[in-house]
Amino acid sequence: MAKVLVVTSGKGGVGKTTSTAALGAALAQRGEKVVVVDFDVGLRNLDLVMGAERRVVFDLINVVQGVAKLSQALIRDKRLENLWLLPASQTRDKDALTDEGVGTIIEELRTKFDWILCDSPAGIERGATLAMRYADEAVIITNPEVSSVRDSDRIIGMLDSKTVKAEKGEQVKKHVLITRYDTARAARGEMLTIEDILEILATPLLGIIPESQDVLRASNVGSPVTLNNAGSAPARAYTDAARRLMGETITMLVPVERKGLMNRLLGRRAA
Amino acid sequence: MSARLLRFFGGGRTVPPPASAPVARERLQILLAHERSSRGQPDLLVLLRDEILAVVSRHVTLDPDKVIVKMDRGETVSTLEVDIELPNGFERMIAAAG
Amino acid sequence: MIMGATAEPVRQQVRLRGRSYVAFVFCPVVPIVGWLEEIDATLARSPGFFVGKPVVLDLSAVELSQSAIAHLVTSLEGRNIRVLGIEGVEPAHVTASMPPLLTGGRHCVIQQDKPEKPAAKPKPTSLLLDSPVRSGQSIIFADGDVTVLGSVSSGAEIVAGGSIHIYGTLRGRAMAGVNGNPAARIYCQKIEAELLAIDGYYQTAEQIDASVRNGPAQAWLEGDVMKITPLN
Repeated sequence: MAKVLVVTSGKGGVGKTTSTAALGAALAQRGEKVVVVDFDVGLRNLDLVMGAERRVVFDLINVVQGVAKLSQALIRDKRLENLWLLPASQTRDKDALTDEGVGTIIEELRTKFDWILCDSPAGIERGATLAMRYADEAVIITNPEVSSVRDSDRIIGMLDSKTVKAEKGEQVKKHVLITRYDTARAARGEMLTIEDILEILATPLLGIIPESQDVLRASNVGSPVTLNNAGSAPARAYTDAARRLMGETITMLVPVERKGLMNRLLGRRAA
Repeated sequence: MSARLLRFFGGGRTVPPPASAPVARERLQILLAHERSSRGQPDLLVLLRDEILAVVSRHVTLDPDKVIVKMDRGETVSTLEVDIELPNGFERMIAAAG
Repeated sequence: MIMGATAEPVRQQVRLRGRSYVAFVFCPVVPIVGWLEEIDATLARSPGFFVGKPVVLDLSAVELSQSAIAHLVTSLEGRNIRVLGIEGVEPAHVTASMPPLLTGGRHCVIQQDKPEKPAAKPKPTSLLLDSPVRSGQSIIFADGDVTVLGSVSSGAEIVAGGSIHIYGTLRGRAMAGVNGNPAARIYCQKIEAELLAIDGYYQTAEQIDASVRNGPAQAWLEGDVMKITPLN
């Protein structure tokens, strides 16, 4: 059974696109057939993070408008043959993305893929509402920071009312993925705690991704972090999250500061 | 004895990964050069595809679904790849028509 | 993908077909004014009953001039009754701007589906929400109490005619007793509210005393002063 999963947050800049790429690659590495779809209208990001920016020919709106077929717009990843990308349009016309058009494309994608990851734009306007409209599951990306948590809460409310599933009286299965978890600030008690976030959002936790230079490096070279540096802390956390999405039970690891042995001996904190 | 101890503590530094910023800069330069030059123009690729297909269709009946267009934009050279699946026996069709 | 020549538009032939319908027949009697009053009484009992239904005027029982017929049609239109056709008059009396003259109508019985009176449901006096109220959501229930099994997020609001009971943390806005009910109260397991109001008297977050935070609390009105006290 194909699963449509929306990666959303409300707030911008919290790690939706990075997470979509990382989770998509992690699922594909485990043998699943995955397509990642960029739902932004006018600003294209997922192709850049996936490293496919030079190969974009047709996009989501071209397919909605019938200018191109789905098979002509899908771009296969060069590193993982099970991983595909449907890029966003650079058009300024917000109305070009229609409910019926998206619905038809999602139905067609369901016949070809195991996982359809929809990368939502920030905000609560058309791109965001259409990205979630046909979702079976949702990953709500949240930073440990008050406005991100409040926006995530808003989005959770919308997942329970503005989706096809909600309109049918069914539940979209929701998960919170905490990203940009800064271990040093957590140690100093300067950050919202994980317990606080979960208590406020009342939604199960999918994983905790530590803030890390590896994410920036991966996006610089155009490779999802789970591919570019699979052994790094964020990559391992994303892989665990992907495995949980596939139904595995894995102990949740809270990222901790990794002090160098010397510094630990001297009681000094890592920078 | 103390030298070995120091090596135990301070040795075995991992090799830092190659700097990724120059890669990012190069990717952006190529990408933005293409995006700036194509801004405001009707989609060239769509036009190219339709015209190429029109030309081929004059000689043989085509299934529009069996056409894949691929693009790779480079720094100095870009490649346009048009993949057309032709029905078997198309040479005979063209010969008969000609 | 558009290719090849454009096709000639196919010319559609206009086809005339016959069909019969069942219509309501109104048989006005004199005095017309009295008859219209009867129509009004019927409409008062079942407003909109004739809206969208085909109505035919049978004028055989009355002698109406052309202008009287026109006036009658207009009077009915003013009552949202659109006349489909007229029967029982001389063709000379009917103008082109009036509904068409009909003949050959056959009598039939109309199935009266009486608009069902919904079994008078007892009006609910309390609203139960069994999941948290999320930021941006607004719950408005003027008819009584609201109970929430869960927290009320910052950026959410509950507006109730009666009391508000929150089995969770109140981080948003709660406004109770909105229809002039000063006895209404607000109860919650933890108070971090942005705003509390009872019967129009309100307190904002800064005014809520630190001593009542972080534990179960209730808010109530004493005169025109809102009191917030721990619930223990």
